[in-house]
Amino acid sequence: MNALRRHRELERIWSSRPGWRGKLTTVNNNDIGLMFMFVATAYFVIGGILAMLIRSQLASPHSAFMGPDVYNQVFTMHGTIMMFLFAIPLFEGLTMHVLPRMLGTRDMAFPRLSAFGLWCYVFGGSILIFALLAGVAPDSGWFMYPPLASTLGSPGVNADFWLIGITFVEISAISAAVEIVTTVLLYRAPGMSLEKLPIFAWYMLVVAVMILTAFPPLILGSILLELERAFGMPFFQVAQGGDSLLWQHLFWIFAHPEVYIIFLPGAAVISTVLPVMARTTLLGYRWIVVATVALGILSFGLWVHHMFTTGLPHMGLAFFSAASTLVAVPTGIQIFAWIGTLWKGRPEMHLPMLWIVAFFATFVLGGLTGVMVAIVPFNWQTHDTYFIVAHFHYVLVGGFVFPMLAGLYYWLPHFTGRKRYFKTGETAFWLVVLGFHGTFLLLHWAGLLGMRRRIDTVEAGSGWELINLLASIGGFAMAIGFALVLLDVAVNVAVSTRSRRNPWRAGTLEWAALSPSPSYNMASLPEIRSRYPLYDDPELPARIARGEGYLGEPRDGLRENLAVDISSGRPRCLVIFPTNSVLPIIMAAVTGGLFVGMLIKAYWLVPVSLVGMAVIATWWAWTLGSGEDQDPRPVGNGLVLPLASELKRPPGWWGSLFLLLADVVFMGSLLFGYAFLWTVAPNWPPPAYLKPGLLGPVLVLGGAALSFGGIRLAQRALRHDEKPWPGLLLNFAGLVSLGGAAGTVLARTVHDAHAFDATLWVIAGYVIFHVIVAVLMTMFLTLRAVAGYLSSRRIGEANIVGLWSDYAAVVALLGLGAAWLPGAFT
Amino acid sequence: MSDILRISLPLTVWLASFSAVYGLQGVACSQHWAAAGLDVATARVVLTAAWIAALAVQVAFVFVLGSPRFASRSLFVRTVSRILAAAGLVTTLWTLFPVVTTSVCI
Repeated sequence: MNALRRHRELERIWSSRPGWRGKLTTVNNNDIGLMFMFVATAYFVIGGILAMLIRSQLASPHSAFMGPDVYNQVFTMHGTIMMFLFAIPLFEGLTMHVLPRMLGTRDMAFPRLSAFGLWCYVFGGSILIFALLAGVAPDSGWFMYPPLASTLGSPGVNADFWLIGITFVEISAISAAVEIVTTVLLYRAPGMSLEKLPIFAWYMLVVAVMILTAFPPLILGSILLELERAFGMPFFQVAQGGDSLLWQHLFWIFAHPEVYIIFLPGAAVISTVLPVMARTTLLGYRWIVVATVALGILSFGLWVHHMFTTGLPHMGLAFFSAASTLVAVPTGIQIFAWIGTLWKGRPEMHLPMLWIVAFFATFVLGGLTGVMVAIVPFNWQTHDTYFIVAHFHYVLVGGFVFPMLAGLYYWLPHFTGRKRYFKTGETAFWLVVLGFHGTFLLLHWAGLLGMRRRIDTVEAGSGWELINLLASIGGFAMAIGFALVLLDVAVNVAVSTRSRRNPWRAGTLEWAALSPSPSYNMASLPEIRSRYPLYDDPELPARIARGEGYLGEPRDGLRENLAVDISSGRPRCLVIFPTNSVLPIIMAAVTGGLFVGMLIKAYWLVPVSLVGMAVIATWWAWTLGSGEDQDPRPVGNGLVLPLASELKRPPGWWGSLFLLLADVVFMGSLLFGYAFLWTVAPNWPPPAYLKPGLLGPVLVLGGAALSFGGIRLAQRALRHDEKPWPGLLLNFAGLVSLGGAAGTVLARTVHDAHAFDATLWVIAGYVIFHVIVAVLMTMFLTLRAVAGYLSSRRIGEANIVGLWSDYAAVVALLGLGAAWLPGAFT
Repeated sequence: MSDILRISLPLTVWLASFSAVYGLQGVACSQHWAAAGLDVATARVVLTAAWIAALAVQVAFVFVLGSPRFASRSLFVRTVSRILAAAGLVTTLWTLFPVVTTSVCI
């Protein structure tokens, strides 16, 4: 088979269906990535328009442009859109697009999950934009502090749109994170060991783990606040044992790492693009990996520095001030490594390099003001002033938007297949950079002069008028610059000439692919021997196209890919990927019913949607696996590998494990919230703690024993090609018993009586939810056994169910144990 | 996966110990501490003990990740995990030193 025939055959197998319907059913990483980036850009435009409305309002004293009610919605939605609907989805889209090629694989780990995440993002974001257009947008600030965001301060539906819409969008972030972790760890070109990972992949691995561990506290907080608003469960109401500071903790445990979740993808782009622009390789690869991991973890130990003015004891302040100063070290390591890379190379000032220079000039300043606000006395002075607004715009625009623009121009041939011809981008660059500094450098002074955040008007004679006028002029220059960037890309897409392969003469593997990138990404999977395969072997793209790597011969119309060992990169198994499907968009729409039902208080829609989701999930999972044992298959270069469905731990097991990591953090956050209220909340203890009694503990201990034992018995039977029914039945009985134990907690507490009772309801609800998931999975496993999908070789599905079943038992033991603990000792 | 754990564990354990000491300080300043008949001086002793325990765990990481028995076979992972173990030790020393230098509950 020659290269052209191979290309056509692989395109036939991997591409989406033609026409607009193809976009609704595609699961291909290139389509999904581009759609993520396109929608994120649309939201960026909306958020940018809101920013210009803010600057218009503040350009002159006592402006009558907007009233305070509208202004509150405008600044809240500006922050919300930029953080949740623009920044995260943009880098997720970029990652989904370029990561598989960089890693030398053919798609992301779970293509249908990618599509599901995309549609959740589109639908969830639409809910928020609808609220904006309808004039009922959230208006409590992007961090939604209660009591302002509770029914006391926001009796309307505005805050509900935020809590429910953002939680819906977060499904997208979590699913993308599971995808990215699994892809980086399991789906790489053979031979690509951890030390040969492209630096971009290291960054995105850390970012994805951060998403899995940072988002659950916010999801929990949003659920608690919505439960308070909808059902009067008083988690944040002081009079009934709640505490509004609990929200601040949950929010900032999410939102401080969020800053690094946004910065690190920018750093990933810098570490990838800068060496190419400097015609050299990255200096200090190991140190950058160390710095990335350190930054990712350290960022979780800083959240309280957003709460320095809440009256904490000095020791608590000192802990977080010390930790906050420390993050400058790994950040500095990266900055110095980049400067060293420039030093050892010969930088060429192409447009991506211009944006990188803008990054240095901006982000370093933002980092320095970050160290300033880490120091408690300075923080007290500038808290909630425009100094903070200026600081975080320097960090986020400098650390994310500018690198993303560098990345946009760098990978533009991958997205469009065109090379830039017109030079509008350079004009846009100067407008954006000068406009940005003209806006936010000045606003530092406004903050130091005492201008508070979120005020809807500037007082005449305050001394802030000229600064704000100049900042608004700068803001509009920046907006024109961003519009020119979009125009530049659009014009170049429309009329520029086709790009050749690897126009930047880069060394990473994504440039081995054609431009625009083909749907299959890699015609064959190469053996990797270094971090810069194209520098080692300039002929590699041609050899890949000739099918000289693994899986070079398309077979049976199947989407074939390889999974590798995590550390060494040795090939482990052959994976057959799913084809285009309407399931993801249907699943997202049905999931949307759950959120819309809560939003419009049509609660009947919630169980209906849940049943719909269970049915679709069953349909989804049923299409996987095989009804009979398969022989290992040749994958090229003389290698024969088993199918992934015949591994004890198939990729789905790993995906479940990473999803459970997020679940564990959610549970931990819930227990933290419970302990926080018990320790700190003023109106504790409650009138009465729940006594454990006898029935509940017996049910939970017996249920956990049956469940643990039952699923292992079923797995053992399957390993010996015996019937798994006794084990599955015991597991089922155990799970029902665990659900019954949680039911005893619900039956003996009143959900809105006190924060203690409300917390116990959430714990019991969490246990019941996981019991239901495990019961459904056990029933699914039973059906699969009946239909012949399980055998001693095809045991992976049983192991996946085992993970979820064990987790249900663990959360029941821990959660219900915590619920009964105070009552047992009083 | 064990290589990923070698790389991520030292600072993750720092995060756990940092959060635990912060939580312990919260408990020490709550009504429950006084109700149990304990005073601020005892709180200082307990917090310092917790800090020393956290440091001991980090010292153990430095040695364990350098030992032939537990170190990775990959030179890259071995180097990265050792640097991160040293970083965990320094981080624990720096971020928790306020237990001996600042007031506990004021």
